[in-house]
Amino acid sequence: MALFKKKPPFEGGGLVLFMDVHDAMAGEKVLKTAGYAVKLVAPPPQLRRGCDLALEVNLVEQPGIERLLKEKEAGYVSVLPMKPGTSGLLEVVKVTDFGEWTMVKAANMKLSFEKKSGLIVNTSGGGCPDIPYLHAEMIGKRLDEAPRPRDLGFTLCALMLDRALDECLALWGGER
Amino acid sequence: MMLIAGTVPLKDLPLTVGRAAAEGDSLVVDGRRIPCTQGTAAMATAAVVATDYLKLDAPQVLVVGDTGQGKGSREMYEYLIQNVARLSPQVLALHYCLPDMALTRRLCEAVKGCARRPVMIADAASMYAAKAAGLAPSFDVFTPDATEMAFLADPDATHPAYIAKHLFDTDVTQTPKLVEAAYERKNAARLLLVKGATDYIVENGKILATVSEPDVPALEPIGGTGDTITGLLCAFVHAGLELHEAAIVAAKANRMAGRMAGATPATRVSQIISQFPAAFQQYLCQWSEVCYSQGGQR
Repeated sequence: MALFKKKPPFEGGGLVLFMDVHDAMAGEKVLKTAGYAVKLVAPPPQLRRGCDLALEVNLVEQPGIERLLKEKEAGYVSVLPMKPGTSGLLEVVKVTDFGEWTMVKAANMKLSFEKKSGLIVNTSGGGCPDIPYLHAEMIGKRLDEAPRPRDLGFTLCALMLDRALDECLALWGGER
Repeated sequence: MMLIAGTVPLKDLPLTVGRAAAEGDSLVVDGRRIPCTQGTAAMATAAVVATDYLKLDAPQVLVVGDTGQGKGSREMYEYLIQNVARLSPQVLALHYCLPDMALTRRLCEAVKGCARRPVMIADAASMYAAKAAGLAPSFDVFTPDATEMAFLADPDATHPAYIAKHLFDTDVTQTPKLVEAAYERKNAARLLLVKGATDYIVENGKILATVSEPDVPALEPIGGTGDTITGLLCAFVHAGLELHEAAIVAAKANRMAGRMAGATPATRVSQIISQFPAAFQQYLCQWSEVCYSQGGQR
């Protein structure tokens, strides 16, 4: 009797949609090669945009996955939550005035800068592993010289921090 | 034994487990120095400082390098799944990592093999994974901030970036409604410590206490000040306080340390942590009836 090692279960919560099966297979190869956990699945009818093959991915890794697919020129339609009814990505931000400093909050991420110099003095919030790394990379740098979380990060927390940085840049630009 | 597990932003740090110590601005685990900044390092350092003050064993800490690609996070989960029953910690606190629903599910199964069920505490992305996988009731404590509370209240979101806009728009006065929604949908742990301008301590849906003094708004922008509350809470639970007592004392101590540090948005979390011993010395007896004389006698 042959013994097969049972594959570990995978629950990603996100879907990458493709126009055709060829793109889906190519996308799977690109992501697997880079070490992402993926699973070929049939998308629910209400989410289907192109072909009837999609990749289940860890939704939290959406920014890193999209960046890689673009870099490798692997065609895909979109990445979205598997759960129908989920809201779209948050676009709104909140701004808090701390006198010499301004804090911008995008979803669970906050970025604070000194108004006069534009120096990033803190980032807070989040929970993904790239966030402490970005915290270390960004603090003490001027807003327009700091690395972009969307370039260095891999997760939705990083994407939200990037949104906060965008708003900070706009506010600081307006104040100068 | 208290076990704290999470990733740290050191790319090449292998999975490291050991009794932790705080030295200067670093957390030291098995001889490896980890800068005490936002994340697991701040949380664990706060727990170390509190256990040191209370003359308790320092926490066992599991750290692994991960800057976002998830390899270290998966190693962390796998180590815990394989070893948690053998280790049987009294307190198990999960922190920064790439949230993984299937691995969290396996970990919750593995915890059932412990001689005695640990107090299960989750913050940061470990909390996201627990909620997204429908495992929140398997945990004893979550420590969300305001947006994360909205995430727990949102029945569909698997990450706070996908919460409904109307939930993100709510202010602190709406926290009780969010709490109610989260418990109704079984998306909350037994106890919630909701961190914000007013901290809410909630057990099984009932708001037991709020903490709003001292009011130090500058704590919110400082990366790691939410992590330190969770670390303090772990230490006080380990010391034998009831969950809600530990949460109240942790919230008060964090605020007081912020005030003592003269916190501004530019303050570093290590400056807050350095004030904990003074805050404990001055207030811990009053807040918790955990009292020490100068010589360390309880």
